[in-house]
Amino acid sequence: MTIRTMLTVTTAIAGLAMASAAGAAEYKIGITQNNVGVDSYQTTYEKAFIEAADANSDVEAVVLDAGGDVARQIAQIEDLIQQDVNAIIIWPTNGEAVIPAVRKASKAGIPVVVTNSNIAEAGFPFVKAFSGPDNITQGSRAAEIMCDKFKSMGIDKTAQIVQISGQPGYTTAIERAKGFEDRLPQVCPDVKLVETQPGDWNREKSQKVMEAFLVKYDKIDGVYAGDDNMGVGALNAAKAAGRDGIIFVGATNFAVGYEAMERGEYWGSIYQSPVDDAKAALKTAVDILEGKDVPFFNYFDTPKITQDNMKDFTKPVF
Amino acid sequence: MDNAKLKNRLKYGAIWGFIAFELIFFTVAGEYLSLSDKVFLDLDNMMLLFKQSAPIGIIALGMTIIMINGNIDLSVGATFALSAIVLLDSMTWPVFAGLGDWVIPVSWLLALLTGVVLGAVNGLIVWKTGVDAFIVTLGSMLGYRGLVFMYHGEQPTSHLNWTLVDFAEASFLGIHTPTWFLLAVAVAMWFLMTRTVHGRNAYAVGDNREAAVNAGIRVGPHILVNFMLIGFLAALSAVVFYSESGSVNPNDGELYELWAITAVVLGGTKLTGGSGSIVSTFGGVIAIQLLRKGLGHIGADTETVNLVIGVILIAVLFLDRQLNIKGREELKT
Repeated sequence: MTIRTMLTVTTAIAGLAMASAAGAAEYKIGITQNNVGVDSYQTTYEKAFIEAADANSDVEAVVLDAGGDVARQIAQIEDLIQQDVNAIIIWPTNGEAVIPAVRKASKAGIPVVVTNSNIAEAGFPFVKAFSGPDNITQGSRAAEIMCDKFKSMGIDKTAQIVQISGQPGYTTAIERAKGFEDRLPQVCPDVKLVETQPGDWNREKSQKVMEAFLVKYDKIDGVYAGDDNMGVGALNAAKAAGRDGIIFVGATNFAVGYEAMERGEYWGSIYQSPVDDAKAALKTAVDILEGKDVPFFNYFDTPKITQDNMKDFTKPVF
Repeated sequence: MDNAKLKNRLKYGAIWGFIAFELIFFTVAGEYLSLSDKVFLDLDNMMLLFKQSAPIGIIALGMTIIMINGNIDLSVGATFALSAIVLLDSMTWPVFAGLGDWVIPVSWLLALLTGVVLGAVNGLIVWKTGVDAFIVTLGSMLGYRGLVFMYHGEQPTSHLNWTLVDFAEASFLGIHTPTWFLLAVAVAMWFLMTRTVHGRNAYAVGDNREAAVNAGIRVGPHILVNFMLIGFLAALSAVVFYSESGSVNPNDGELYELWAITAVVLGGTKLTGGSGSIVSTFGGVIAIQLLRKGLGHIGADTETVNLVIGVILIAVLFLDRQLNIKGREELKT
């Protein structure tokens, strides 16, 4: 029975292969995402990516999701290579585990674009470009937001601030802290950063860190947090301790931060849109295929958001 | 007698029919829906299929003997991750610094040993306490995963060794390294189950434990050996996979136990034990990977895989039940 079906299959293929003239679009682009559905950032990203690909008549996209499983992501990269796509976009499930698979793509002559979170440096030779947010800029813009606020309050000569950073060892955490620490003395040389402690991207941890800060320092005018999740944790600690008038600034706007801004308790953050993220990734891939000169790092714009201009932005989905 | 044979054929043959259906469906649908100019049945694509089946396949083959025993092992995913960590981390241990690339076989052995030890712990507890394997391995699944997180916290454990990657990516006679491992395990397990006393005992223990004890089978040690075997295979799966990727997330291997069990059940092995076949499990593994690959090929949402597999799984169990009911009625008349 199996032999007969195989025969039928082969004849069917032969017939169809001749009949079909596949490949109307110019560029076939495959994307393998980290874990769609695990948070709304990734879900919105996927939707935006598909819309952007549909809108561009030159592009046909194969949209895959690794479901957070490295093995599945590697298999998907192999499949995309096998399908002869023109470019592969990858949102790594693990910045190191995918390097050999990326090398395979590069050996097959397929350009690879890494999106959102970069792979480890050992993989850079096999990658054409990275497309995603610039964490250094996010940090330095957060410093500007805080400085501007202090100036308008007239305390930019005396203010003391503390920092709650992301998980130690994470590039994102290091870059957001560095961007802030480098920029602050340039714009507000008299503002003093008295202490930095990691909050590990965790709201409860940040709340504890802030509680300790509040006990230790009688004068805290501002708090800079690596993202709004940690910033809101710190805010909760300040509210519980009855300490008013502290300016809270984050480096990535989350829904909780946006809501706290609406309540007037949280001053500002940096707006990072998954829609821009997705569009930038597709554009980078298309630019490479069109032979344009593309820099290795392609950052999409992440604007400042404060209580003053928040009406221009929709509430973040994550 | 003939009826029983037919029944078995139906039961174990169903999976191959399903695979044939998948091949036809994805080939035909691929012509219309796929962006690729290559046909789905392209030889390279089929070779990739086997290679990509290896991680879950190697575990599922071991799971078959556990399930024929009437037991289950839920801890294989965590064992997989822990062995992978030992594999990658041991390559950087200062003790082995002088070995150069000879550290690779040493790390392999350490990883495999980890799997055997973890399996032995499961087996010993099942043997000595008599607690159901489901509960024991549910506990060890959580416990072993806890160890994984204790090792490096939330951070991945990484070590990229290009010699190792080149070996894992190589192919011999046109067959990828992981495929060789998968095939070797399949043949070894098939031999074990059909040609040895241990294999025959496995069916006997699963069919009727009392009778097996009365027949002089030492059930406790028998089960212990099988748990060590699946621990070894979970570790082997990790060795094969991580040789090629070089970094473990602490949540890697999560849900692998369920995929392995799904493959085994798709292949017609009974959850209650006493019956099952290595060859059909192999079919079950291929069927799952084929589905993932095929849906990717035609550009369907990859999450559809779960839905389709769920439906098929229930269909297989239904078929199994119907066949068994028929058999019983047959006996009465």
